[in-house]
Amino acid sequence: MMDVDLRIYEHPILRFIRGRAVSFTFNNRQIRGYEGESIAAALLAAGIKVFRRSMKLGRARGFYCGIGKCSSCLMRVDGIPNVRTCIEPVRGGMIVETQTWEPDLPTTMEFDVKREKVDVDIAVVGGGPAGLEAAITASKLGATVAVIDENYKAGGQLIKQTHKFFGSVEAYAGVRGINIANKLLSELRKTKAHWILGSSVFAHYSGSSESLLAYGGGRYYRIRAKKVVYSTGAMENMLLFPNNDLPGVYGAGGVQTIMNVYGVKPGNEALIVGAGNVGLILGYQLLQAGVRVRAVVEIMPKIGGYKVHANKLMRQGVPILTSHTIKEVQGKEWVESATIVEVDKNFNMIEGSEERLNVDLVCIAVGLSPSIELPAQAGAKTSYIPELGGYVPLHNKFLKTSLENVYVAGDASGIEEATTAMFEGRIAGAETSASLGYNVQRAETIVENTMRQLEMFRKSPFSSRVVKGKMKVFSMMGDLT
Amino acid sequence: MKERTDVLIIGGGVNGCALAYYLVKRGANVTLVEREYIACGSSGRNAGGIRQQWSTRENVRLAMGSVKIFERLDEELGCETDYRQGGYLILAHTEEEVKQFKRNVSMQKSEGLEVEYLEQDEINDIVPELNVEGIGAIGATWCPSDGHADPIKVTIGYAEAAARKGAQIYKYTEVLGFRVEDNEIVEVKTSRGSIRADYIVNAAGAYSKEIAKLLGVQLPNKPYRHEILITEPVKPFFTPMIISFHDNFYFRQTPEGQIIGGWGNPREEPGYNYESSLTFAKNMARLLTKYMPKLRHVNVLRQWAGLYDVTPDARPILGPVETVRNFIQMNGFSGHGFMVAPMTATLIAQLIMGEKTSLPIKDLSLERFKGEVVKEVSVVG
Ligand SMILES: Cc1cc2nc3c(=O)[nH]c(=O)nc-3n(C[C@H](O)[C@H](O)[C@H](O)COP(=O)(O)OP(=O)(O)OC[C@H]3O[C@@H](n4cnc5c(N)ncnc54)[C@H](O)[C@@H]3O)c2cc1C
Ligand SMILES: Cc1cc2nc3c(=O)[nH]c(=O)nc-3n(C[C@H](O)[C@H](O)[C@H](O)COP(=O)(O)OP(=O)(O)OC[C@H]3O[C@@H](n4cnc5c(N)ncnc54)[C@H](O)[C@@H]3O)c2cc1C
Ligand code: FES
Repeated sequence: MMDVDLRIYEHPILRFIRGRAVSFTFNNRQIRGYEGESIAAALLAAGIKVFRRSMKLGRARGFYCGIGKCSSCLMRVDGIPNVRTCIEPVRGGMIVETQTWEPDLPTTMEFDVKREKVDVDIAVVGGGPAGLEAAITASKLGATVAVIDENYKAGGQLIKQTHKFFGSVEAYAGVRGINIANKLLSELRKTKAHWILGSSVFAHYSGSSESLLAYGGGRYYRIRAKKVVYSTGAMENMLLFPNNDLPGVYGAGGVQTIMNVYGVKPGNEALIVGAGNVGLILGYQLLQAGVRVRAVVEIMPKIGGYKVHANKLMRQGVPILTSHTIKEVQGKEWVESATIVEVDKNFNMIEGSEERLNVDLVCIAVGLSPSIELPAQAGAKTSYIPELGGYVPLHNKFLKTSLENVYVAGDASGIEEATTAMFEGRIAGAETSASLGYNVQRAETIVENTMRQLEMFRKSPFSSRVVKGKMKVFSMMGDLT
Repeated sequence: MKERTDVLIIGGGVNGCALAYYLVKRGANVTLVEREYIACGSSGRNAGGIRQQWSTRENVRLAMGSVKIFERLDEELGCETDYRQGGYLILAHTEEEVKQFKRNVSMQKSEGLEVEYLEQDEINDIVPELNVEGIGAIGATWCPSDGHADPIKVTIGYAEAAARKGAQIYKYTEVLGFRVEDNEIVEVKTSRGSIRADYIVNAAGAYSKEIAKLLGVQLPNKPYRHEILITEPVKPFFTPMIISFHDNFYFRQTPEGQIIGGWGNPREEPGYNYESSLTFAKNMARLLTKYMPKLRHVNVLRQWAGLYDVTPDARPILGPVETVRNFIQMNGFSGHGFMVAPMTATLIAQLIMGEKTSLPIKDLSLERFKGEVVKEVSVVG
């Protein structure tokens, strides 16, 4: 078999620094990977798209979200089934296998798990911009903090955003997302905050204090905290169409991760579904990575994202087709082509307007939904707020939920953006610290100032929808008390 | 809401729904009211275990009668209930248990149940993956015709079949009070209006006690939280329910491969508590991995809780009460009301229709608590 290597070695703005080369086996075949890569990234780089078979029909399944939230990429690793390979780093000598419908358990009795107890004032779940800000703020005020993130690279969505940020100067406008992440990380490193990376928080129990359980890398954590900040971000929405489960249909954020974080070309010919900012930005990032973008389809009659982004794409000859959507994709084991179609005023497909594109990559950029499972499990009241992307935990403007000790910040409190996520994280960090008596005056000043910045930022017309949603949340929260 | 009905059933759990079915099948006019939705109570929260291995004769008979019905239930209701006869393996850890189990087996055999006592070295013939020595099991009883079904499918199956035959089911309808004249309920007040009925059946699960209280009837039942969890699916590798009274613990694998099981906290206090506890999760992880070390690699998907409606002798309360003539009890199932539901519902239907009940139920009336009671000991409490 010819050795395939889809890694990007030349890129107009990014340089990929790879770790030591290692070798592992996939279904008895030797695969090369680099330390720091996820298993999924290394497999995609080797041209492997099928990771498992579906339970009932045995259909091919592969990568989708790239951040451990969808379970599309489950494989058997060193005998252990159901490993999320998109957030599991490669190690030399590991054995990776396609998982069939019934994952079997390893027969060996050895299982070396370690246990660790962590006791802190504040547990921050999720190390994206919101969580990092919360942790930095609380640590600086003197609280003991643990930050837990299920990805083994901290920084959340920021680490794949290679474009220069729009937004407020105080909140890094003009800086590339990835550099913001690095800056926050180095600031956090200066504090005493406890880091737990590559570990998923999977349970929240309330009692005399809040107890979280986390697992990752062969280690169980029991984290006891007085306050918990959930900054768990969001997950990408899926669209319903025939064959949407075929490998090659990937979330836009997942594609960014593969391409911008790991430097792997996700396909050759792409179709993007959704012309909001995410879809548009992804469009020119794909071009930078040498992928041909055949079209961006948008079901609404007009482009949702910023004009600058749309123009940049159109200048490169990429058509942005409004009042169009995807009808279906075709292929046996992965995407071989996709059919797009025009829609009428009522979003019904117009018969006869179908067009088939020979693409091997379909990127779904149709919005995000807040990741609220854990606060909901803890018992926080939630409500469906379409302006904020779906169900969100009700919270007041200090980010406190209906539970005394549970806070939310960032996309988990309603889909918005990195800038506001950082503001919210800072408020939550200062509020929780103050409620525990740490440097109360200073904390209150931080809250006041940040609240003012947040209000200023949200004055922009682009924020009107979010503001409407937040108002609903605050008033429903007020009704509770 | 309609004005009148022959029988008003309070509670849309498996017992209320099964009763509705067997009554309409006999031609009665039936109305069922449920405070929330069908199977929202214990019937939608249990492990679906169906066993005939009990320590009291009444329970063995109730369960054996139910199994006969379960064997043909899909056909009867026209739905899938995932009923499987995978057997129950009940582990003995002490000499005392061995003695009790051997007594149970001979009593059960005299009832015609196919059941056997297994020595320690025979246990792995049934479930090879069980760490028999590690858990200190010294013997077991094994009944291959025990099994399990999906309790939600069974409950909804009964409700839909009953509705097809004309039962009126009011969801999101709460019973709030009664009007009683001459020791008889003449009207039932609900959140949707009032209704008259000849018979009123109290099948409100752990809330039956509260319903009875509205009529000045004292039930000795107490609600106890019981927690349970389910894992992700893995290749099916054992079919029996495995149960240990010693560890107060049971688990099985569903046909899809998920491991489902529970542990009873001996320190649980009575109360209407639905919270999931860390203590439970920790003990389940400890017990499951001790019983089957290979389960260490399985992730838990969900944890939840339901209520046991526990009587002093762990046996149900069935039939009329002395003080309110048309008030029929069908509660107090003490953590095993799913498996006996087909039979208890048949019996109560027979009672209401004036037929001869296929098993005597007098011993299960509320009045029994005035005298000495025989306790069912084979329970996970
Ligand atoms: C293509 C694109 C372009 C964007 N451009 C901009 C822009 O120009 N300007 C701007 O302001 N915003 C932009 N955004 C939005 C911005 O990235 C997000 O709003 C922001 O990252 C949200 O931050 P967060 O901290 O709330 O969540 P995230 O960044 O999503 O971080 C959440 C973290 O929580 C972790 N986590 C989740 N669940 C668990 C768990 N159970 N246990 C442990 N860890 C967990 C995740 O692994 C993740 O690292 C863009 C987004 C995209 C996708
Ligand atoms: C964790 C757990 C595991 C179990 N495992 C097993 C097992 O393996 N095998 C087994 O046989 N049993 C098991 N059980 C026990 C079994 O679930 C119960 O005995 C059985 O479901 C009782 O059914 P029911 O219809 O009597 O009550 P429920 O299912 O509790 O139904 C009562 C209904 O009454 C309604 N109600 C209450 N008050 C009112 C009102 N005022 N007005 C109107 N409606 C009202 C409630 O909403 C509820 O839906 C288990 C129980 C639990 C909690
Ligand atoms: S969980 Fe790995 S791709 Fe979504």
